[in-house]
Amino acid sequence: MTEEQIKLAIENPKMSARDVKVFYGEKQAIKGVSIDVGMDHVTAFIGPSGCGKSTFLRTLNRMNDTVASARVEGEITLDGENIYAPSMDVVQLRARVGMVFQKPNPFPKSIYENIAYGPRIHGLAAGKADMDVIVEKSLRRAGLWDEVKDRLHDSGTALSGGQQQRLCIGRAIAVEPEVILMDEPCSALDPIATAKIEELIHELRGRYAIVIVTHNMQQAARVSQRTAFFHLGDLVEYGVTSDIFTNPRQERTKDYITGRYG
Amino acid sequence: MTAVRNPTDWKSEAMRKRIAGRYAAERRFKFAGLFAVVLSASFLAFLLVTMMGNGLRGFTRTEIALKVDFPASPLLLDPKAITDEALANANLPMVTGTVAKTVLGEKADDLLSPTAWISIRDAIKADPMILSRTATISVPASTGLDLAAKSKGSPEMEAEVARLKQQGILSTGFNMGFLTASDGTDPTQVGIWGAFKGSLLTMLVTLILSFPVGVATALYLEEYAAKNWWTDIIEVSINNLAAVPSIIFGLLGLSIFLNLAHLPRSAALVGGMTLALMTMPVIVIAGRNAIKSVPPSIRDAALGIGASPVQVVFQHVLPLALPGILTGTIIGMARALGETAPLLMIGMRAFIATPPGGITDPATVLPVQIFLWSDEVSKGFVEKTSAAIIVLLAFLLAMNGLAIYLRNKFETRW
Repeated sequence: MTEEQIKLAIENPKMSARDVKVFYGEKQAIKGVSIDVGMDHVTAFIGPSGCGKSTFLRTLNRMNDTVASARVEGEITLDGENIYAPSMDVVQLRARVGMVFQKPNPFPKSIYENIAYGPRIHGLAAGKADMDVIVEKSLRRAGLWDEVKDRLHDSGTALSGGQQQRLCIGRAIAVEPEVILMDEPCSALDPIATAKIEELIHELRGRYAIVIVTHNMQQAARVSQRTAFFHLGDLVEYGVTSDIFTNPRQERTKDYITGRYG
Repeated sequence: MTAVRNPTDWKSEAMRKRIAGRYAAERRFKFAGLFAVVLSASFLAFLLVTMMGNGLRGFTRTEIALKVDFPASPLLLDPKAITDEALANANLPMVTGTVAKTVLGEKADDLLSPTAWISIRDAIKADPMILSRTATISVPASTGLDLAAKSKGSPEMEAEVARLKQQGILSTGFNMGFLTASDGTDPTQVGIWGAFKGSLLTMLVTLILSFPVGVATALYLEEYAAKNWWTDIIEVSINNLAAVPSIIFGLLGLSIFLNLAHLPRSAALVGGMTLALMTMPVIVIAGRNAIKSVPPSIRDAALGIGASPVQVVFQHVLPLALPGILTGTIIGMARALGETAPLLMIGMRAFIATPPGGITDPATVLPVQIFLWSDEVSKGFVEKTSAAIIVLLAFLLAMNGLAIYLRNKFETRW
């Protein structure tokens, strides 16, 4: 993929990666990926299992740091600042670049505490009243407020799978991130819960830069404006979602989209 | 050419046999399990029944209501000047013997406990005015009479019991002294309180030392230490340490705490430190397993919203691992509570007749007390030993109950 293509896709990027390589010990998982992620779009990463899309997503907020054998080369910037620079504080980075995981993972605490935890550790609330406002606002944005407002002190793990995932999104929103990374957020959910999450992604667009990894191509087509196709650690093609799905330039993209493999 | 497979005949003889065999295997397995459960339950029941049968008698004491005619007795005491010194000089043991002989007959010495005079002294102390009249004072019976009254004694003693019962001056009641007194030479006078308090202090020292160190070790090894050759060595060493015979820890305590550091001998402090060495590996292993079983998704969740590693550990991992850590700790503590051998090595087998006042006072602990009493010649100690075992078991049961309570309390947060 050429520089023009990258530039073509995004005007002023929120995050950009240049020639990023990720190694797990000896094995190379990502083979030099360059991509820009914009503020105004939902960006979808698609590709067959094991293609490296989740690995690449986790380099964007340095969650790969927790894997001892993982090593990242290349440059990733957030607002022009290299996130792998020694001066970058990982804790702050992860507050700015939030993450929603594949399996809903609320804390085994009350719904209120799940939302309040992030703002509390970052000192974002001035007091109890302020925290109540943050919790309500976050749950409203996550589309969960009406369902849980009467039982904020029930355990977060007692909610249904879809509600738990929206709680996790609310938890990420509560610390006012700039970017939200979603790692196959609907793969453990039923179709109705999935539809609700997709609706929510629509509503959150513009407020946060959203990157979503999915192996459901229909979902990518429905929720995203930009799509990147990964295959065997390569970024094969990146462009406007409708172009990718109707008029792929690369043979491999076309094969994947038409269901030849994956 | 491909062979044509016949459709499977699910009703064939071989098939029926296979099904019957499968059901039979299942039944056999069920019965084997049931048999094992019944067997272990009956062993436990046998243990409890024999313990209770022997031990409950240890909680009771036979007393003789001795009618003392003070004015007629050879006692030379002024009711208005009763001091400890005057009582000490009055030769009460001899007087008691004389009085007993007049009331109970020539064999009185064999019927009364050698410490019976203490009851008389206490009665005089409580009310000096009884010196001017005839009073009935309950005094402990001798071990032989006590045994004869409660179960089986020698034929002579059985006869004495029958005689005294006829006079209506023999009674067997709950022995409060067993719970409040300490070790002694006369089985009718010994109590468990000294050893119980010693155990309590020793456990306290063990818990305070081994719990924080064990949990911190487990946390460090699981959360921070790099996985390399060194941590492997440490892990193997800790696992081996947990399996080292306890008497070795006693030797270690002897050479380090006593010979090197010159800490007080046979004190709860040293006992607790020695047992802490033994308990710590158990806590580390249980702690590591509990920490390992905290789902990684919780760590991810906390890291993902910008919690620092320390916040992840102390606000998420540790609270979730706590029930498991507590269970492991209580198991380790229960083992330490029942431990005798290492404490013998550091001198806790001494005869100590007063309960310890602090962790540096000479003390003994329940299992060592049981061990010492089981070695005694006097027959009266048999039931005392069993009674002490009941106290130890009750202590253990209480600890396990606490563990279950704590675990449930913390688990409801999940």
